[in-house]
Amino acid sequence: MDPAGPTDPPNRARPVTTGGGRACLVGVGETRYAKWGGITGTSEYQLAVEAVLAAVADAGMTLDDIDGLASFAEDRNEATFMAADLGLPELRYASLSWLPGGGGACAAVANAAMAVESGAAQAVVVYRSLCQGQFRRFGQGPGNVPARVGPPRIPHLRRAKTMLEAHIAFTMPFGMFSPPIAYAMVLQRHMHLFGTTEEQMGHVAVTTRAHAARNPRAVMGDRPMTMGDYLASRWVSEPFRLFDCCLENDGACAVVVTTARRAADTAKRPVSILGAAQGALRGFGHGQYSNVGMPDDDYASSGARGVAARLWGRAGVGPSDIDVAQIYDHFTGLVLLSLEDFGFCARGDGGPYAASGALAWPYGALPTNTHGGSLSEAYIHGLNHVVEGVRQLRGESTCQVEGAETCLVTSAAGVPTSALVLGARQP
Amino acid sequence: MTMRWFPDEMPEPAASAETVGWWEAAAAHRLVVQRCTDCGHTRHPPGPVCPHCRSLASEWSTLPGTGRVYTYTVVRQAFIPSLADKIPYVVIAVELDGADGVRIVSNLVDAETEEVAVGLAVEVVWEDMGPELAVPRFRPSVTPGSTTAGTGERR
Repeated sequence: MDPAGPTDPPNRARPVTTGGGRACLVGVGETRYAKWGGITGTSEYQLAVEAVLAAVADAGMTLDDIDGLASFAEDRNEATFMAADLGLPELRYASLSWLPGGGGACAAVANAAMAVESGAAQAVVVYRSLCQGQFRRFGQGPGNVPARVGPPRIPHLRRAKTMLEAHIAFTMPFGMFSPPIAYAMVLQRHMHLFGTTEEQMGHVAVTTRAHAARNPRAVMGDRPMTMGDYLASRWVSEPFRLFDCCLENDGACAVVVTTARRAADTAKRPVSILGAAQGALRGFGHGQYSNVGMPDDDYASSGARGVAARLWGRAGVGPSDIDVAQIYDHFTGLVLLSLEDFGFCARGDGGPYAASGALAWPYGALPTNTHGGSLSEAYIHGLNHVVEGVRQLRGESTCQVEGAETCLVTSAAGVPTSALVLGARQP
Repeated sequence: MTMRWFPDEMPEPAASAETVGWWEAAAAHRLVVQRCTDCGHTRHPPGPVCPHCRSLASEWSTLPGTGRVYTYTVVRQAFIPSLADKIPYVVIAVELDGADGVRIVSNLVDAETEEVAVGLAVEVVWEDMGPELAVPRFRPSVTPGSTTAGTGERR
């Protein structure tokens, strides 16, 4: 079915066709990344638009080729408005994954892949823009307390405007203001169960910073870090120091998803999506941020065990087949938990695995976060991890893994999450 | 007014139709857990349906107010200015006695920071944040051995 025809000249979009084969990533783009507050003359929304334009240009496509937009929860930049502002010939697919914040980047790509594989759309751009200088910084406190409009039986009790607000009522009055506090408790439990150490977390911070030093886009590219620097950084919430926590910054990035058939004439080598999975364990809810009551095996974990099992099953590969990984790194310790749950080491062994040097480019067993990650490149809710995965499989990374053919990309641990296996070749 | 450990500027809770009963009990200094009246399963945070048997019927079950620290963190950054002279403070997850494994987030108070440990026996103390608003905090149990909760190795 072709909704655009001779009677509809303004719609120049290509007709949608099914049977285009598996989805591919064919374009990546980003704006400048800067420490929070570093981008003031350009709105967060305009940055999103700029990232979309860059990704489409990178693919060798034009906006007339694009008929879908996808993002994930907590996005202020609405796809329907963006489609109009970009002048897309016709918007045929627009979706927002429910997976919160950092959990949803891979899911948004997976949703875009499903859209193009089903024929609902032919080319979908996934985008994320975060200007924490223009809006609230996630790492800060609660901000202004809203006016009381509470239920009549308790005049001093406010009525929750969202389900999340009702849930974090059980954490905020106790000074669990922000994610580092919530996830520090997860790592404390992991330390209790398995003996994980601060130095093991420090290996993640130091290794990632070394990768960033080679990446001109990285916000912290000119700030080298030693283990001594790490251990000397100030406490935030034990066992997390400042250098265990990801950046707060301004910037945007985007990726283009289309079918293998369409990808044949794009500008650069297409990267295949070998597998994708998303979701949450039973009872996980919003994860440990608002639920400390989950079973012990799930609490001191990434929460991604189910996602990992389904991902490997769909991709037809396993951890030993992965050449390079981009593991969501809002906090160093949660990288260790993800490495365990995706099967790169045994449960409880994430710390020793990192301390072995496994994550370091170029000689580690699993070079990880080769762009510098959220800890040192930029915090764009992990969509920049997808961008780096594409660059690795094109041979364009600033920490290029020789001959890399497979890349694992994960979204955030500790919330309902998602993951992708990307491949340099068609399956 | 009862004892105050935290400043007035601490964020106050907001309640939904499902959670307001918990806060009403707290205002009366009763620590409760939502319990399914069909199968007895306990759940927290409160919700409209039992995740075990999917019954819509539930009640607020009053707990003894004791438990053990499941995990914790010592917060050393003042995320709101009025906490500057209160840091460090200790956030804990408490596995509550009589609640079949339910845990809640709270604070360890009336204790040295160094006292906090996984497995520490604690008991509730109430802090009134307003005339009809109270939050449960916990101090080390004055009668060691009074708690029956485990250290949370399994639920």
